[in-house]
Amino acid sequence: MDTPETFIDFVRQQSGKLLEQTLTHTGLTFISVLIAVCIGVPAGILISRRKKLAGPVLGITGVLQTIPSIALLGFMIPLLGIGPKPAIVALFLYALLPVVRNTYTGILGVDPNITEAATGMGMNTRQLLLKVQLPLAMPVILAGIRTATVINVGVATLAAYIAAGGLGEFIFGGIALNNTNMMLAGAIPAALLAILFDWALSRLQRVNMRKARKIALVLPVILVLLSSFYLLPETYSSRLKAGFTPEFMGRKDGAVGLRNVYGLQLRTLVISDMIMYKAAYEKKLDVISGSSTDGRVKAFDLIVLKDDKHIFPPYYAAPVVRQAVLDKYPELAPALDQLSGTINDSIMTELNYRVDYLQQNPQQVARDFLVSAGLWQPARNGSKGNIRIGAKIFGDGYILANMYKMLIEGHTDLSATTKTGLGGTKIVFDALVNDQIDMYPEYTGTGLLVILQAPQTTVDSIIGDNRKVYDYVKKGFAEKYQVQWLQPIGFNNTYALMMRREQATRLHISSISDLATYVHHH
Amino acid sequence: MIKVSHVSKSFSHGKNAVNDLSFEVQPGETLVLLGTSGCGKTTTLRMINRLLIPDTGDIFIGDKNINTETPETLRRSMGYVLQNTGLFPHYTVLENIAVVPQLLGWDKTRIHSRALAILEKLRLPPATYGDVYPQQLSGGQQQRVGLARALAADPPILLMDEPFGALDPLTRISVRKEFKLLDELNSKTIILVTHDVEEAFELGNRICIMNEGRIQQLGSATELLFNPANDFVRHFLDKQRLELELKSLRLRDIWPYLDSAGGSTGTALPPDTSCWDTLEHLTGNKAGSILDGQNKHLDGNILITAINAYKKTVSQYGHA
Repeated sequence: MDTPETFIDFVRQQSGKLLEQTLTHTGLTFISVLIAVCIGVPAGILISRRKKLAGPVLGITGVLQTIPSIALLGFMIPLLGIGPKPAIVALFLYALLPVVRNTYTGILGVDPNITEAATGMGMNTRQLLLKVQLPLAMPVILAGIRTATVINVGVATLAAYIAAGGLGEFIFGGIALNNTNMMLAGAIPAALLAILFDWALSRLQRVNMRKARKIALVLPVILVLLSSFYLLPETYSSRLKAGFTPEFMGRKDGAVGLRNVYGLQLRTLVISDMIMYKAAYEKKLDVISGSSTDGRVKAFDLIVLKDDKHIFPPYYAAPVVRQAVLDKYPELAPALDQLSGTINDSIMTELNYRVDYLQQNPQQVARDFLVSAGLWQPARNGSKGNIRIGAKIFGDGYILANMYKMLIEGHTDLSATTKTGLGGTKIVFDALVNDQIDMYPEYTGTGLLVILQAPQTTVDSIIGDNRKVYDYVKKGFAEKYQVQWLQPIGFNNTYALMMRREQATRLHISSISDLATYVHHH
Repeated sequence: MIKVSHVSKSFSHGKNAVNDLSFEVQPGETLVLLGTSGCGKTTTLRMINRLLIPDTGDIFIGDKNINTETPETLRRSMGYVLQNTGLFPHYTVLENIAVVPQLLGWDKTRIHSRALAILEKLRLPPATYGDVYPQQLSGGQQQRVGLARALAADPPILLMDEPFGALDPLTRISVRKEFKLLDELNSKTIILVTHDVEEAFELGNRICIMNEGRIQQLGSATELLFNPANDFVRHFLDKQRLELELKSLRLRDIWPYLDSAGGSTGTALPPDTSCWDTLEHLTGNKAGSILDGQNKHLDGNILITAINAYKKTVSQYGHA
């Protein structure tokens, strides 16, 4: 990976993208705040007059506030699809509570002597509202808008998960790629935006009473202006719409490779892998960057496009075990190696499908498979020692860890415990090196690129050949960490471009080259 | 001018109720509603400008039932002064004063010249006070602005709810004095609510003493003092009785009881001078008074004897 040297370099290189993301971010924030003001202020006025409604309305907006942002975005997908619409609606719902509540308390907070005087002098309810209540409640209402804005600058980063853009693209890309510069390039502007808007609105809040009336006129104009930033992007488009994860967007063996090696120019949205498959299934997206053995490939009837120019490195899974444990229990390696060659891509996809989509218990799925492969044996006494098996949070790991546990207990006198859900590569590998676990299933590509961080020239020379990659990591791990790679299991859980089967068939696309040709001509 | 007829109003919390209330206020008269808190005096006032709606009974302005107009129109034709002024903190003094004229749709130049004129009359020079905000003024000044705002559209009727209640005693006395001298108020029909007996006697042409939502007695100061309708009225005034009596009685009232012997050598006091002021003058001064060509000598003893004689007669015959 050619990570730029410094943060400044990164910002300079990506300045166009950064500007676009910042504008999108600002637009997203303010368009939702604007809608929240348009709906929240009248709602606040209404409940200040009909007090019986106040409880339910504040209750409902309060509950909306407590829904985790990512879950709220998730709820929006089936209703509104992906992209700006669900993001704006979700942000709007978050902004609603502070606006409604502050309008309500602001109006109720107006000195009753003053409202009585106004009424007693002959103002009707409208005049009372416009001339007295709203101007006097304005500082409190502005405080609510300020809170809503700051909340939304933060939550808007999550919009990147559902293809709505914004600074979250850099932030989540940076996290996924462990690229600090990229992460900061998203996080710092987001923080600055929050501070800037907070400061600007606090200035508005403090201006004296005379100007308070002018603010009421100026503020909507400013909001509309800032909101319009959102309309700036969306300039070019191809007929096929692609959705890539933030990680894929930044990787050389991802979107960059597609562009450089295949010359593929797609209209691309950034999206979370959690909703990407579904979005493809629902025809919101046409091409996605999936994981080849993901259960959802089967669930949503997607097909993997052939990587005919080999840009995606091989990610063959194999158990990695600490050498010390292998030396202590020589029977361990043969027991584990029984799994080698039994699971290919489509079997793994099928197993993942049963766990992820059919919600079957990973233990049951693992057992069923071992039984059908003739490898299952009832547990022996397990008195000789204990093997701790780790796994990452992703699908494959759970099933494989369970299979290893059964193999160990059925074929040796050892017992085994599983520690699944150990976050990402970094966490699980650290656990292994620090003697927290004894083994876990790892992918050759990850070992090469993430753990060993092989030099670019080496990567380029061996990446096309699965065997060479395996040999390289086996050697590297043994020398550097005293960790042994056992036999590969057989499946390759690599990046893949996927399309709906129906669409790919109709357009006669079966490889990435076919796709590039198709896009080029349409 | 204002007629309240058999008006009742009750609240769910039980306080401030009003029970079968009837009275009339003559044009140009100042009627004071006097009573302790919770007696229903403010409730009565708020029903007159329809901030509250009576349960039963009717209220008339002139010959018109107040229900025949919209509340807004009705209220714009009455000045309303509140204890805590209710000035708009986001409006300058001039803008505050302009509120009712604006609601009435006056043109800008007329509003402006009227606001300037009324500020002058209340001794708040517009150049100094016109563009400041109410918070920048003293309590007494705020109260005067509140009065100016109520008078801005020159309404025939003025409703005042404890208008001096929030002021310290010294300021209260001086603002009250100014209030009495303001010619702008001479032609107004005023209903003023207070719990301050002294204030009631100083400002009211007639006083309506209320208790538990009912009128105990409605009459002039001397009627209340020397001919109380019941024990409540008598006891209500007892604490300040001497002072009130001296202030209410004028030389003219006790004239027949003054010893007619001998002409005066000192200052001739006008016959409308109150006994209180006369006594004040007599400390260290000689004085007399002239009424209908008759010149009578005054000193402390003569005055007190005459007052006692007056009171005796009134309590016997019901009038002097």
